[in-house]
Amino acid sequence: MSVTNLLENWSKVRQAHPVGDAPHAEYKWAMAIDLDACSGCNACSVACYAENNLPVVGKDKYGHGQAMHWMRIERYWDEDGRETPNQGAQFLPMMCQQCEAAPCETVCPVGATNHTADGLNSQVYNRCIGSRYCSANCPYKVRYFNWWDYPTTDNVWPAEMTQQLNPDVTVRGKGVMEKCTFCVQRTYAAKNTARNEGRLVRDGEVQTACQQACPTNAISFGNMADAESKVAKQWEKQKVELAEEEQNKDNQVEPSALRGYRIFEELRPYPSVMYLERVRESAV
Amino acid sequence: MIENGINRRDFLKVLGWGGATISLSGCGFTSIENGKETVVSYVEFNEYALPGIGVYFNSTCAQCDAGCGISGRVREGRVLKLEGNAVSSVNHGKMCGLGQAGVQAHYNPDRVREPLLRTGNQGEAITWDKALGLINEKLGGVKGDEVAFLTGGVSGHLKVLLKNYQDALGSKNHYVYEAVSPSVVRAANKKSYGVEMPHLRLDRAKVIVSFGADFLGAWVSPVHFSQQYAQFRKGTRPEGRGVLVQIESKMTLTGANADRWIAIRPGTEGVLAMGIINALGKAGLAIPADVAAASKAYTAERVSGETDVSAEQIDKLAHLLKTRTPSLVLAGGAAEGYAHGSQNAAAIAMLNHVLGNVGKTIEAPSRVPFPQVEAAVGNRIAVQALNDQLAKDKVKVLFVYGANPVHTAPAALKLKDNLKKAAFKVVLANYMDETAMEADLVLPLDSWLEDWGTSVPEYRAEGVQLNITQPLMERLHPDTRGAGDIFLSLLKQRRAEEYKKHEDFYAYVRASVLSIKNALGGMGKDDDLFWDETLSQGLIKLPGASAALSAKAGPNISLPASAAIDDAYPLRLIPYVTPNMRDGRNANQPWLQESPDPLTTIVWDSWVEIHPVTAARLGVEEGDIVEVTSRSGTIKTQVYVFPGIHPDAISIPYGYGHQALGRYAKEVGVNVANIMDQITDKETGELAFNETRVKVSKTGKRVIIVKEEGPAGGQQMGKKIAVRKSSDKVDLSKEV
Repeated sequence: MSVTNLLENWSKVRQAHPVGDAPHAEYKWAMAIDLDACSGCNACSVACYAENNLPVVGKDKYGHGQAMHWMRIERYWDEDGRETPNQGAQFLPMMCQQCEAAPCETVCPVGATNHTADGLNSQVYNRCIGSRYCSANCPYKVRYFNWWDYPTTDNVWPAEMTQQLNPDVTVRGKGVMEKCTFCVQRTYAAKNTARNEGRLVRDGEVQTACQQACPTNAISFGNMADAESKVAKQWEKQKVELAEEEQNKDNQVEPSALRGYRIFEELRPYPSVMYLERVRESAV
Repeated sequence: MIENGINRRDFLKVLGWGGATISLSGCGFTSIENGKETVVSYVEFNEYALPGIGVYFNSTCAQCDAGCGISGRVREGRVLKLEGNAVSSVNHGKMCGLGQAGVQAHYNPDRVREPLLRTGNQGEAITWDKALGLINEKLGGVKGDEVAFLTGGVSGHLKVLLKNYQDALGSKNHYVYEAVSPSVVRAANKKSYGVEMPHLRLDRAKVIVSFGADFLGAWVSPVHFSQQYAQFRKGTRPEGRGVLVQIESKMTLTGANADRWIAIRPGTEGVLAMGIINALGKAGLAIPADVAAASKAYTAERVSGETDVSAEQIDKLAHLLKTRTPSLVLAGGAAEGYAHGSQNAAAIAMLNHVLGNVGKTIEAPSRVPFPQVEAAVGNRIAVQALNDQLAKDKVKVLFVYGANPVHTAPAALKLKDNLKKAAFKVVLANYMDETAMEADLVLPLDSWLEDWGTSVPEYRAEGVQLNITQPLMERLHPDTRGAGDIFLSLLKQRRAEEYKKHEDFYAYVRASVLSIKNALGGMGKDDDLFWDETLSQGLIKLPGASAALSAKAGPNISLPASAAIDDAYPLRLIPYVTPNMRDGRNANQPWLQESPDPLTTIVWDSWVEIHPVTAARLGVEEGDIVEVTSRSGTIKTQVYVFPGIHPDAISIPYGYGHQALGRYAKEVGVNVANIMDQITDKETGELAFNETRVKVSKTGKRVIIVKEEGPAGGQQMGKKIAVRKSSDKVDLSKEV
């Protein structure tokens, strides 16, 4: 692709949040996470370590904020001054929200992070120069920088443990940024299989590692461009629009009886992950 | 053209042979065919391995005893990742973090790789023949009852083989030890429902009231219960969204998910259960006369005073339980861990009877049609009993498998000293754990991803299931062996005639399963076909009638008066069984060390949870290193000020503080078992986990706690991040 072509057809080449005349084509990967089902057990996080070759950094580096958990569970308490947390804690699985207008993308000086045609926020490791602007600009703090060369660091992957590494996923070296990819190696494989068979990926055919492990089925993942997919139906029922910066249901006088919301929507990153509010019984 | 008829190809052939002859002429009588068997063409790759494509094999997770089915992804002969086996009725294709980390048990760099014989303080590597010969020799002049076996929970054909070996030796001393098993609740269930482990239907209950049963985190079969819980929470279910009330002194993962979390004064769970029965009677629920009489004394005022739960809260609970049926009341680790733990559990079971839940949400489990493979479940009294025998010099030869009592049993037992009295200790181990360090002979085990076996989980999820364990890849280290193979070799020393037909444990398992093929649903099927199908499924579902629930809880419950405050040791110690660490056997798996504790978000260390009010009184804050002292000892660890704990209690996680095991576990945190008092439940004799009383004193040292939580400490600072809605403001009925 020549530069001229790139510049002339910029609107077609640049993938951003869909606008009326340029909707997503075949695929738009998205998620819905039910916080009422999520128990905060961390199975998703460990599954992500297993699938995506995440290094274990150890206590010191963890203490310096260098943990590499693409998927992490945040834990919150009530802030109304109650003496005991008598409605439990709040858990929130947090990973890259695959924003449609990602704040990280626009600041990358080398174009290492881009929007893909299937609606992912990609990270090109061998283009990344480690400026870390993207991480500074990410409101969700879900980008993780390789401060060390983990493959050669003691006890990260000692001899036998290298055999566990997933050959479908790169092992990242020092100086590059990384983050959740929505298990792109799995969606890629599923798209290939489907294309060979002359069809589109079916709903449920591809699962992310976190979704697959989740003991309470709190995570749904799928193709939003397929109106029949579970994730599309969930978004639709919850009246959360991918391309809106403010949801219509939140502007009503009567508070909405629906649970869907997106985090930091007001910053207009158009995240591709919808959360469903946790419910707590009023009668007890 | 070449005239003499030799073409180019023939010419090269001649040259090739000639060359080979020349190069080999100096090597004696070697032929070019030598060593051809070690050259494997890539097109003749192992039958099961397709280059570049993951193949899935089913087996059974052994990270805890729940017995989830796994489906391991294998590529180029290496196992890469474990997924859940969708066919298994335990986990239906799902996994927990502990299970995910199973591959790190297999690839762990600190595994024992050859049999080790103690010479002084050193372990000398010896051959298997020598090791097995040595066991035979040491058993020579020893009577049967001087031989003892300490194991973790065992089931399936390994249990059969182990039993046969014990019979062959004439030993009846099999101690089955599980440090964190629900053993008091089992005994109470047996009395109240007629079965030790009834089948629970969380998915059918409208209300669950759990007295400290951490069924989402670390209790019995967490992945199975998590799935039922997900059903229970669905607003689209005919019963509507279920309500979870968790009553405990220290918030567990389940407590963190409750609609109402009630901090109860430690040890008064039974009193509250009786108080709720009394309140139910007042609210108009029909209660049998004897039960009503027994609960009459538990007035709201008294119960509130003893338990620290408000009378208003008790009334609300009673109202909820009366109006929403069926419900389910559970007794867990927090309720059973006292000297009167059995009584607590009985009172809680009585609540289920009163509410009419027995038969509705508490069902009879299926019977295991072959009792010889049924799980031999462990308890804590086993290690006490063994310890007594050791102290009395009654054990000469000790076999240990699947248990690490030197780390998990209270130091107050002095087990480590008593072990020295046994002349010959054989430990079958994956790692050099604390117990293996005390052994005279260590036998290296295969990982559970390399081994053969069968098992029947204690908690029978939906019918009985015979789980198959099969190797997902070749042995990583050539000199490790499966426990089954070891016991079979040992049996052959005793009963050679009977066992010579089984070449190895695999052959034994295969023959044993095929011998009951008809009962397993393989009637009329070819042996090979049936076996292949079984391996492919990774399990066999067994037909089996349900056991019957029987027995009604008698109202003979005697709960002690509230214990007076002990001025010297004013706080209760609650050892916390975490979802990741459990009894600490998997502590050398780095993913588990780096996976934060869900409640405190702390990694790579122990901590002591102290309520803000208590912390203020003691003058400590987050990161202070304190000394926690009981009558049995002192440990030092970091303070985490935690709102989810009763002010009378402090909590320290269990399973940390290894002195051996491996690079990721050694000296990470402190071992709470070092300060646990050896106080037991009066009825069952089980170690009362939460009975230890402690005091906390400052050391003046401080650290920065390494944790996931940021400086905001779990606050959202007015942002809309993790949002909650009250159930009366939401419509769940139309959700997808």
